[in-house]
Amino acid sequence: MQNKIKIERAILDLTQDDLAKKIGVSRQTINSIEANRYVPSTVLALKLSEVFNKSVNEFFSLSEED
Amino acid sequence: MKKKSISECERDQFNKLIKLRLPNAFKTVGLIIAVLAFLSMFGRKLLIEGDAELYKSISRQALLIGLLLMSISKDKIEDEMTYSLRMQSYGFAFILGVLYAMMMPYVDYGVSNALKPEGETLKNLGDFQILIFMLMIQLMFYHTSKRIG
Repeated sequence: MQNKIKIERAILDLTQDDLAKKIGVSRQTINSIEANRYVPSTVLALKLSEVFNKSVNEFFSLSEED
Repeated sequence: MKKKSISECERDQFNKLIKLRLPNAFKTVGLIIAVLAFLSMFGRKLLIEGDAELYKSISRQALLIGLLLMSISKDKIEDEMTYSLRMQSYGFAFILGVLYAMMMPYVDYGVSNALKPEGETLKNLGDFQILIFMLMIQLMFYHTSKRIG
């Protein structure tokens, strides 16, 4: 799974900590998601979608390995 | 009002039980208990004269309780990743604990007999040794995996 969370975060000028606080997770969780080390649940993906005001497909996409 | 079925209630109760965690403050309490118990194990030989079995047993129980409190306490920020890492760490600790309990008696036996001809007989590990091993593996695995993400 690939993601563009870092880009979306930069567009909104949010730090990892800011984003973490907005969706109620730790900064390490955001860091792990951005680095593709952790795949978030649907609930977390939808919370990110609300913050970015975009559909989940726009910042999460399947990679060839998936 | 919609009534919950018995199976739904059972599932809810089961989920609550699985997700049961103590507040974050218990992590500090557990750490203090574990450190004091650990130190008391060293101090035992200096402080206690004669039969120290009861003291030894209490120290061991206190160390287990301390580590257990640390293990089941929440982090400051508890989220789905910490939950997932915690579950992985319990699984990992369980598998290593079983392997440890199966293999260590033979390792102990082999080493003791290799070092001296009248070495120890084959004996099983005690519950304390297995439990302390599993708790320490769980805590180490959890905190390491959290640190490296």
